[in-house]
Amino acid sequence: MQERTCEIMAKAISNVFKKPSTDEFKFGDAELEAICVQLKEKVDRVFGRSLAIRELDAGSDNSTEIELNNLSTPYYDVERFGISFVASPRHADVLIVTGAITRNMEIAAKKTWEAMPAPKFVVAVGDDACGVGIQNESYAVLGGADKIFVVDLKIPGNPPSPKMILMGLLALVHQIEKQTKG
Amino acid sequence: MNIYEVLETLFEQKLNLIEGLNSELYLPLDESGLEKVLNVMNENSFELISLFCVEDFAEKGFTLFYAFEITGFEQTLIFQYALNANQAPSIAKTFPSACWYEREITDGFGIEFQGAFDTRRLFLHETYPKDFHPLLKSFKNGPIETAPPSEQNDYVFKQVEGDGVYQIPVGPVHAGIIEPGHFRFSVIGEAIFNLEVRLFYKHRGLEKLAEGMAPQDCVRIAESISGDETVANAVAYCIAVEKICGLSIPKRALQLRTVLMELERVYSHLGDLAGMCVDVAYPVGASPFFILREEIFRHNEALTGSRFMKDTFAVGGLTKDVPAGALQNLSVYLKGFPDRFGVATAIDNSYFSVIDRFETTGRVKPEILWPLHITGPVARASGKRTDTRIDHPYGMYGELKLKQKTQTNGDVFARFNLKAAEVLDSIKIIQKIMSELASGEVFAPFQIRDGYVLSMVEAPRGQNVHWVNIKNGLVDRYKVRTASFCNWQAMEHAVLGNIVPDFPLINKSMNLSYAGTDM
Repeated sequence: MQERTCEIMAKAISNVFKKPSTDEFKFGDAELEAICVQLKEKVDRVFGRSLAIRELDAGSDNSTEIELNNLSTPYYDVERFGISFVASPRHADVLIVTGAITRNMEIAAKKTWEAMPAPKFVVAVGDDACGVGIQNESYAVLGGADKIFVVDLKIPGNPPSPKMILMGLLALVHQIEKQTKG
Repeated sequence: MNIYEVLETLFEQKLNLIEGLNSELYLPLDESGLEKVLNVMNENSFELISLFCVEDFAEKGFTLFYAFEITGFEQTLIFQYALNANQAPSIAKTFPSACWYEREITDGFGIEFQGAFDTRRLFLHETYPKDFHPLLKSFKNGPIETAPPSEQNDYVFKQVEGDGVYQIPVGPVHAGIIEPGHFRFSVIGEAIFNLEVRLFYKHRGLEKLAEGMAPQDCVRIAESISGDETVANAVAYCIAVEKICGLSIPKRALQLRTVLMELERVYSHLGDLAGMCVDVAYPVGASPFFILREEIFRHNEALTGSRFMKDTFAVGGLTKDVPAGALQNLSVYLKGFPDRFGVATAIDNSYFSVIDRFETTGRVKPEILWPLHITGPVARASGKRTDTRIDHPYGMYGELKLKQKTQTNGDVFARFNLKAAEVLDSIKIIQKIMSELASGEVFAPFQIRDGYVLSMVEAPRGQNVHWVNIKNGLVDRYKVRTASFCNWQAMEHAVLGNIVPDFPLINKSMNLSYAGTDM
């Protein structure tokens, strides 16, 4: 019995010193890291260490969703900085809207915003949501996010890169900090 | 036998086929003629690849176009049926995939299909007024008065009743960063008994937007169909207009288009492989794929200035050449890619918990592949030998002599393994083309001509079909049918008998575009 315990102990100890099963991931983008560190400081101060974002796709071409998803992949991993994408609007501080608001999404989009607790902020991400996309002349869309929401910040791009989205979020938190101080 | 002889044997008569500009054969028919040919198509299990309506084609009211693939031939066969009134016979009982096409045509043009088993609206949801048909030429595009949702427009889901059956409504807004769509599950215990998918929440009216555009400008509409199929759709559209204009583009442009199309396939498949791991709660397995995918995005940006390769394609070639340095970097990068990719797939392929979730889950059965025209990796993972690059070669694919890979089980594991194999195949294609890259121009000037053509490409998700009609130098009709439009219907069958928690995994393994379906 004692022998068996020793064996298990030895295995456990050797596992601690063993080469990890995955390689350490080297992060190489100093500029991005600098943005994220600033963002973390501000999120810590203004949002009590956690900025919860609910994403609402109101009619995008899906490339903006891909870039928002990329923020959670190893190259960016924004949860390190207190930013999380949440499943329910009831948990969210910020609503990120993508795409021009389609007529078929109008009701669901409004309901999502109504479900969020105050204080709440709306960020339009991508040209379509910012009201400068190619679909504004269509019968099928209402136009940019500001057609149904008060938009606090617009991050244009077709689509904006993850870095630009992070810079946008930094600007948002900065703006909110100034407002609350003022 | 050539296709003409085959068709003559099948129809037992000589046909007045009109040759199209891209290996299509058009055959104008009246109602009795249509019934007869559709019977022949059905008896020989030929697949309906698209059904769409054009107004004022050859100055004749409404014309329906029924496009078929003829097994073993590059050519497609398209029946044209000019309507006398706003009515047509429904073919959905013989060709189940026609159901969505017919509902789409009813919404767009107000045409009634007699004998149709499902007459609910498709892309026009509750707030669109009654008798509104946006694709009619008499409707000038612009904002419309919406009606508050009325009971008359209410969408009725299929009701499943019985002991212990309950419904789970999901969406349109989902619990993650996912496109909107509604899933209505009827469940017994944990097992899915019925699923009805309601889409088109993202309907942006792209086909109407294209109407009246200059053919060169319409590339941007093609790009915005589905962001992660930017290249496939832009190239399909450009090929269509180039065929109409009788233009052949420079060799270097052809080669670079192929490189970029395959890069799109690589990043798309990498996302699926990662997503499948995420959906079985195995981030360790997902991360290596996410890392490779991000690196491909960065190469895309270095090559074209856009991570999704937008604004890169033009009728006549490319909008700009790629920087030499970026090509060199890509070439070096790809040398190390297969080994790193191999390590990543080995992590998942050797972990029993992953295999347990992947195997036998979300099986796409062979019997639905042909009637629903299931396409792309979803079809190939179920053993269907189909790949537009091989069946209807375009661009450089004719000379590349690609070999088809298939799997037989049709479950999530089969789709995982198939996509993994296709990533490596695409890398080889890219390397081969880059080693033979021609120098010179990437754009050929051209004159816009009038005409119409069908163009098909193999997007990462499968076959995308574009039909373009240019009239008086402007786009008169632009009809796109993406692979997702077909494959969504496979989903409703594949989930049956599976447990609800496996639904996200099955969904991810099929990787369907909502934007590409909703248009």
